[in-house]
Formats: sequence, C-alpha cells, structure tokens
Amino acid sequence: MTAVLEARGLGKRYRRMWALADCTLSVPAGHVVGLVGPNGAGKTTLLNLAGGLLAPTTGTIEVLGGPPLARLARIGFLAQHAPVYAGLSVADHLAFGAHLNPGWDAGLARSRIERLDLDPGQRAGTLSGGQRAQLALTLAVAKRPDLLILDEPVASLDPLARREFLQELMEAVAGQGLSVVLSSHLVSDLERVCDYLVVLVGSRVRVAGPVDELLATHHLLSGPRRDPDTLPAGQRVISASHTDRQSTLLVHTIDPVLDPAWTVSEVDLEDLVLAYMSQAAAGGRRHLEVQR
Amino acid sequence: MIWLTWRQFRVQAITAAAALAAFAVLLALTGPHLASLYAASGINGCQGTGCEHLASNFLYQLQAGTYWVVYLIGVMIILFVPAVIGLFWGAPMVAREIETGTHHLAWTQSISRTQWLAVKLALIGLAAMAVTEAFSLMQGWWAAPIGRAVGHGGSGPLIAMIQFSPLVFATHGITPLGYAAFAFILGVTAGVLIRRAIPAMAVTLAIFAALQIATPLWIRPHLFPPDRTSVTIDAISDISFNNNTQGVFRIAAGALAGQPDAWILSSGAVNAAGQPVSMAPEACKQALINGSGPSALDCLASHGIRVAVTYQPASRYWALEWTETAIYLALASALAGYCFWRLGRRLS
Repeated sequence: MTAVLEARGLGKRYRRMWALADCTLSVPAGHVVGLVGPNGAGKTTLLNLAGGLLAPTTGTIEVLGGPPLARLARIGFLAQHAPVYAGLSVADHLAFGAHLNPGWDAGLARSRIERLDLDPGQRAGTLSGGQRAQLALTLAVAKRPDLLILDEPVASLDPLARREFLQELMEAVAGQGLSVVLSSHLVSDLERVCDYLVVLVGSRVRVAGPVDELLATHHLLSGPRRDPDTLPAGQRVISASHTDRQSTLLVHTIDPVLDPAWTVSEVDLEDLVLAYMSQAAAGGRRHLEVQR
Repeated sequence: MIWLTWRQFRVQAITAAAALAAFAVLLALTGPHLASLYAASGINGCQGTGCEHLASNFLYQLQAGTYWVVYLIGVMIILFVPAVIGLFWGAPMVAREIETGTHHLAWTQSISRTQWLAVKLALIGLAAMAVTEAFSLMQGWWAAPIGRAVGHGGSGPLIAMIQFSPLVFATHGITPLGYAAFAFILGVTAGVLIRRAIPAMAVTLAIFAALQIATPLWIRPHLFPPDRTSVTIDAISDISFNNNTQGVFRIAAGALAGQPDAWILSSGAVNAAGQPVSMAPEACKQALINGSGPSALDCLASHGIRVAVTYQPASRYWALEWTETAIYLALASALAGYCFWRLGRRLS
C-alpha cells in the first residue's frame, strides 16, 4: 500500500527553535489519521509542511508519493482556524474553489451548502464559527482531493457543531474514499472518527499505528509492586505508577502477558495517548535534569 | 486566478475609475476655456522676441483664474497616485492575506503560489501603470497650452514650469509608468517581508518618498553627463545677481537665452580665463556699491566676466525620461523577482 504521508528525518526550525525535529513517519492510504499531541507539539508545523505551506529545514516530506507542492491539486487543506475571506460571500467562495481547482465538483459543493443551510449571499465574515468551518471543509472536499488535511478543525466549535462537523466529515470520507489526516489536542474528538493514530509530543513522533493494533498491543497491568525493569524483554513500559504495595503499568507488547501476578485490562485510546504524553513529559524532565 | 484577482481588487478598481472620472470632469470643465485663452493670446504663429512677452502675458493671465490651482492639483495628484497605489494596492496584497490567515486558503488550491503571485502582480501592476498614466495624459492634454507658452520663453507668476522642473518631469511623459510599477511592487515586497499591512504601508511610503526626493536632486542630473558652457552675461535670460559692499558678488542663471527649456544644474561667474570668481574687478567695485543691478552687470561683462553653466539641454528630455523610467522598471522587476523567490520557497 502506498503512503499518503511519508516523512524522513523531517525538521523545521523557526529562528533558533525547532518546531518539529527528526520526524520520521509513514501513513498508509485509506485511513482517517488522528494527529494528536499537546499544544505546541508541532502538529500545525507538520501539517503545514505536508500542505506545502512550509519548506523543511531538514529531511524530506512526500505526500501522495511526491513533494507537496507538486500534489496541491490532490490535497484538500483546511488550515487552523478555518480561514475564509471575510468580505466574500458564500457563493463567492464556491466560485473561488471552482476557478482555482480544475477538479472542482460544483454539484457536491452546492448540495453541501444547501444541506448545511448556508445562505449563498451571506458574507463569510458574518458566519458563525461552525458555519465557517463547514464552508472551509466544503472548499476542501469539493476539490475532490485524494488526501484531506485538517488542522484542528473542531477546536473552536461548540460540542454540537463539533459533532455535526465530524459527522459531515465522515460522510464525505465514506462517499469519496479519501484519506484524511486531522489534528487535535483532544483525544475524544478523534476517538469517534480515526482508525489510525499518530502521537506527537515535544516535536517528536512518540507512537504511530492503526488504532485497533495500538489497542491490541497495549495493556494495563496491575499487581503487587515491582520494579518495571524486571519485566520480560518483549514488554516495554510506557507509563508506570506505584503505590506502596501496588504497581500499575501501561506496557506495549506484541506477545500475550502470561505472568499470573498481573491483572491485565484493556486500554482505551485516551489512556494510551496520555501515557505517551506523560512519558514524553517525564523524558523531557529527565533530560533537563541531566543538563543541570 | 484572473477571476479571484478581479473579485478581490474590484473595490479598488472602481475607486480608481471614480477618481479618474472626477479628475476628467474637472479638466473638461476648465480645459476648453484655457485653450481659447491660449488661442487668443497670439502666441501661435508668432515670430521673434515678442513671443516671450506674449507667452508671459498669457501665463500671468492664468493667475487671475483658477487655472494655476487646477494645474497644481493635477500635478500633485499625479505625484501622489503612485504612492497611494503602493500603499493601498501593494502593501496589503500579501500582508492582508497573511494577517487574516487566508494565504493558507489561497495557497493550498490547485494553482501554484508562483501563478497566484504572477497573475496578481501582472494584473494589478498593469492597472497601477494604466491609472497613473491616464492621470498624466489627461493633465498633459489640459496643460498643453501652458507647456507651449513656457516653451516660447514665457515665465509664469508662480512657478516657471519648464519641462525639466522636478514637478513637471515627474508627472509627464513616461516617468509615471515607472513610478507606479515600482511603488506597487515596493508595497507588495514590504508586505511580504513585514507580513503586516499597516507597518508595510508605512515602510512603503517612507522608501518611496525618499526615492522621489532623491531622484531629482541626486540621480536625474547625473543620468547623462551634463553639458558645460560659458556664456556672456547678456546670454542669460533669467539672471539672479547679488553682491555686498565689499565687491563680493554672485551670479546664478535661471535660463539660457535661446534655450528656455534647458535644465540648468549649476551656474556661476568665471573670469576670462574660465576660473570661478566671486570678487568684482577693482574697476567695477564702485558700480557694485552704488549702482543698480544692470549697471553693475554691464561693468562686469565689459571686464570679461562670463557665466559658466552646467545644464541638460532640452533635446535630452526624452532620453532622460526613458532612462529614469527604465531604472524604476528595473528596480520593480528586481523586487518582483525577490517576491517570487521569497514566496516560492520561504513563506508560510
């Protein structure tokens, strides 16, 4: 299967600060990929690099098998905060899409606008946040892209608009069979729609893979207190918490956990993401201590 | 892309068209009467030295009416139009998109960023040049009688507007084309670099104004090596002379007889050997102290004092127009090239 997104040693530096460092990532086609990480993790930088809006400082990024700028016609891009032209009407935006994209699906765009009950004559500056996001999504989808990149598409929406937006997104995905990469700092947004997860913390990719595979290979172990270093070789501890008597570990392993001392329970996506985030945070702290 | 450029630019385009129309009405209301005054002045077809008086009479006659006001308004408009275009068309073109985040929308459509910039620069740049030149041509049509009167050696009551005067040179011929193109692209470039519209506008204004002041003062006089000549005092048709009681004097030429359109760059008194002098010969000191200008000048002339003049002859007018316009267009092209490079690979 070809990769929709392939990054090798990708890095982007702004003046002296690295917004993204040494990012190596391959996302196969046909997935709805959730890119999750705390604010400032480098999600927007990664997506802007994928959309050709930034040039890498180091490494390479390929989208749909080529450099992003050569794939613009096949990428639907919804930038952070869903920018639209405040002075142009909804109808103007559809004309904008039609004039700037040879593959423009006017019927799809019109029917989406009708279904969303947007007034074509209304200026985009007077739309609500949810309507604006929907208009921007319409522009991205009606381009008939093979890959849809959405940067925090629901961050500014209220819960109802959020659900409607994601529903619209899933319908568009089902109808067109496209690949999607969307970012969020909230796992709950992604849980419902994503089947592939990339966790980005501190400008580095911590884990990436299909959601079901991630859930199947991560386990929550609880049992009598013990040192995490004494676990079998195949088990990698992602996060650990201890009380006086008990240890709770989130481990990654492809083999079944056989030790009868453990009570094994399944993890959900939120546990998993939080574990990787706290691991990164702890790693960062250790790193700081060493420097001191 | 042409559609988008027009859609985003149409308010500015309509504003420019309205301003042009208003200016045209002003000129159309006053132009015919100005032309009839000129026809009645008898300058046309006159021969010899009397022309100068007829021309001056005509120019003084204009002072009574509103013509000088209209003339100056026209010249000021043509001077300011390129700056206004740079500020309001150029500076916000990219900066406003970046400020509102819409550059991420515009630059992720199927067309390349280079194409986006190329179409915008070409269409709006051509509009800038067309609008500015339209103002200039209309004003040139209106002011043609004044130009002809000045060409006949007439001097006006307020300003002697020979075609080389900074205000006339910069507002007629083809120089407005160069200024408009340059100011527009200067604004775009400032927007690309500063990424915020208002500061970009301020920088555009500062740089353009500085260049517009520097050009007539330090650049234009040196585009071609000036001619040098030394003439007798009576060959200066517009002379300024002052002296003190110690016999120190200064002569400056305003215009050369027979070459009323020549652009005098510098002038000063020289002795028969061609060396600059500021002290009158002993024989003339008394005339300087007692006498009025003419007798002092006669004395100086009879003692071999001449006037050295550096100037650009009127025949070089179009060569200078073309050269200066070419320089501004070259600067505009260089800035445009920089914008393409910068937007093509660096900006987000």
